[in-house]
Amino acid sequence: MFRILILALLASGVVPPIQFEEIAAKAGLRFELQNGEAGGFHQIELTLGGVAAFDYNNDGCADVFFTNGAAIPSLRKTGAKFSNRLFRNNCNLTFTDVTVEAGLAGEGYSMAVDAGDFDNDGFTDLFVAGVKGNALYHNLGNGSFKAIAIPKAEPRWAVSAGWFDYDNDGWLDLFVANYVEWDAAKEPRCGPLERQYYCHPNAYKGLPNQLFHNNRDGSFTDVSMGSGIGKQIGKGMGVAFADMDGDGFTDIFVANDSVRGLLFRNQGNGKFEEIGLEAGVALRDDGHAIAGMGADFRDLDNDGRPDLLVSGILNDSFLLFRNLGGRLGFEDYAQRTGLLMSTRQLTGWSLGIYDFDNDGWKDLFFALAHLMQLDRYLGRESALPNRVYRNVEGKKLEDVSASAGEAFQLAALHRGAAFADFDNDGRVDVVVSAVNGPAKLFHNVSSGKSHWLGIKLRGVRSNRQGLGAAVHVHLADGRDLYNHATTAVGYASSSEAVVRFGLGASLIESIEIRWPGGAIQKLNHVAADRIVEITEDVEP
Amino acid sequence: MSFWLLMLLGAVSPGQPSYEKANELFVKQKFPEALVAVEEALRLDAKLVPALTLKAKLAMAANRFDVARLSLEQALAIDPKAAYAQFLYGMVAYMNNEMREAATRFQKARELAPKDPRVALYLGLTIESVGQPADALALYEEAIRLERASGQEQADTLLPGARLLLLLDRLAESERWIRQAVKLSPKMRDAHFELARIFLKKGEAAEAAQEGELALSLPVGSVPDSAIHYLLIRAWRQAGKPDRAAFHAGVIRAKEN
Repeated sequence: MFRILILALLASGVVPPIQFEEIAAKAGLRFELQNGEAGGFHQIELTLGGVAAFDYNNDGCADVFFTNGAAIPSLRKTGAKFSNRLFRNNCNLTFTDVTVEAGLAGEGYSMAVDAGDFDNDGFTDLFVAGVKGNALYHNLGNGSFKAIAIPKAEPRWAVSAGWFDYDNDGWLDLFVANYVEWDAAKEPRCGPLERQYYCHPNAYKGLPNQLFHNNRDGSFTDVSMGSGIGKQIGKGMGVAFADMDGDGFTDIFVANDSVRGLLFRNQGNGKFEEIGLEAGVALRDDGHAIAGMGADFRDLDNDGRPDLLVSGILNDSFLLFRNLGGRLGFEDYAQRTGLLMSTRQLTGWSLGIYDFDNDGWKDLFFALAHLMQLDRYLGRESALPNRVYRNVEGKKLEDVSASAGEAFQLAALHRGAAFADFDNDGRVDVVVSAVNGPAKLFHNVSSGKSHWLGIKLRGVRSNRQGLGAAVHVHLADGRDLYNHATTAVGYASSSEAVVRFGLGASLIESIEIRWPGGAIQKLNHVAADRIVEITEDVEP
Repeated sequence: MSFWLLMLLGAVSPGQPSYEKANELFVKQKFPEALVAVEEALRLDAKLVPALTLKAKLAMAANRFDVARLSLEQALAIDPKAAYAQFLYGMVAYMNNEMREAATRFQKARELAPKDPRVALYLGLTIESVGQPADALALYEEAIRLERASGQEQADTLLPGARLLLLLDRLAESERWIRQAVKLSPKMRDAHFELARIFLKKGEAAEAAQEGELALSLPVGSVPDSAIHYLLIRAWRQAGKPDRAAFHAGVIRAKEN
């Protein structure tokens, strides 16, 4: 009966609702993010919470890594409650805490994480960014990680990081988005004593971002200044990658807090040109700099050009820029799709552009929470439920949160979010962290019989995970779908490297992969409803 | 009847002359002198509501919202029906981003002065910021109606509604409101900036650039230069004049460094 209903809904053009069940506790994913707050209104308490979804043991099931805070002002993980945590996916929607054997408890006040196989050994490594201290963990392939040296640099406060191969040499390089200068002893005080609040970012001095080139021997060289990346000061939050202009080189967008967004165009010669203003993605349409938080850089309207999504805080509205291509740059698309007004009363942190109902149009997920203490001023709680928006043929974004499940309506101080199909059923799930509260695992239980495809890339000349590769799927019904491989998604977080497609009722006619550097590989009649591993075809 | 006689009869406060002097100085933006005069007025009559209200205005001009709040609370305790004091009391909360409190205070001010367009406007701004666009738009319309009724229509009152209409993707209505604002205040940069945004939304890049350049040349308004430069970058690029776009991008970048 239910199947008949689904088929009838599909035939009538009515797509079954996107729905999630929250199963973290049931699945054994027991983690509480601790920000170490003790009444000092330290800015770092607001911004932590990165999460990673990645397969550390290559068993085909995405595992979960949570970053965690520390005591303030010592910035030390003074107890187990501050430990970063790795949970192994038992491949049956349950998880086991393997932090200790993995050696990933960490040190310091951790903020963000990005997963990438930097040494091309087939095992995904971790970079953990933090306040005045970052860490690089080499995956030894035996279930454990070893911290390795990273270039010494002035200790900064990093909020996001991402692996990508900017020079297409086949080795992943590292981008670190830095936020502001901060010292617990010099924390500015804002508001009267009895009504103190967290200071506006204007009270802190911004920082340049950093780019580290992979030397192919386990070491990295800081190329921030020479590449042009380090010449631009910002207040970096989210970072996202895409080859926005199809030139075969990966470009970078950085969402900044209260100052304009930065778009670094990769010139292909080891240098980047900052073109946020020219491209029309630097500011909101009215010229206002929003408190940019998370970012994702993917094609939302299936025209083959990556679009840009940025979350902000209350009364900012979230930004959506449609990539028009060429000299036209990007246009504001949040207003026309309804996202601008619909998100005006929200504060968003992590986010992701994924096709949750597999109808062939990528939807939006936002991890939400107002800044702490907001309730005093606006008469509303800081905790918020998350939101999911259905993409209606690339033209409208419809808030379908109300029908997304009972647990989806529960408010919390959500922060990081990572996206992966944890049970390999073809539906993208979401793991979300929450400040001083339990993490959530939103298991996607959307009904419907839409087809899907996951592509696990294996680079040969390119980096092992194929990060930066762009994939074009041509469907039998004539539609074209586009996506690309990246793990840097949202805010402070890292998602699976698998490139996913919802196919709707159609099957696949052909797949075209443009590997980093521009080599094209074509495949025909690939079967749907599975994860396929595609190895880069390299002529001898 | 002389002032002293009126005072003896209790019809005029002994602080009235000092208050009037303070008010004149305030109008002339001689704030320190106005403060001295208003303090004198309050020394002579601590319950002089207009003086307490003026003291609050002076405090607000100096960003001393704590002093303003206390002064207005005193004024409203003496005369709960003092409509202007009640409006300013709402403004203090609004300026402090305390929107729940601001809405309550403006609502009360609106009950006291239903024909005051300022109160309708600021109540609209307050409830728009807490996510009630339909109610806010109705209040903007009411503010405009009240101004028209009194023959004092102002461009400033039209712009918040025009911006909200633009956010709601009601482009044609927004343009109508903005064009009316331009007609009322041809030298208002904010109105020309909003008109330029409309042109850009409509794909009329050359017109957007022209309006934007005009806005940039006008000194009076709340839209910062950077917002206009950003608009002009996009307008000139779309109009096929990348050199002009580059000029405006250069101006923004020069200020960042």
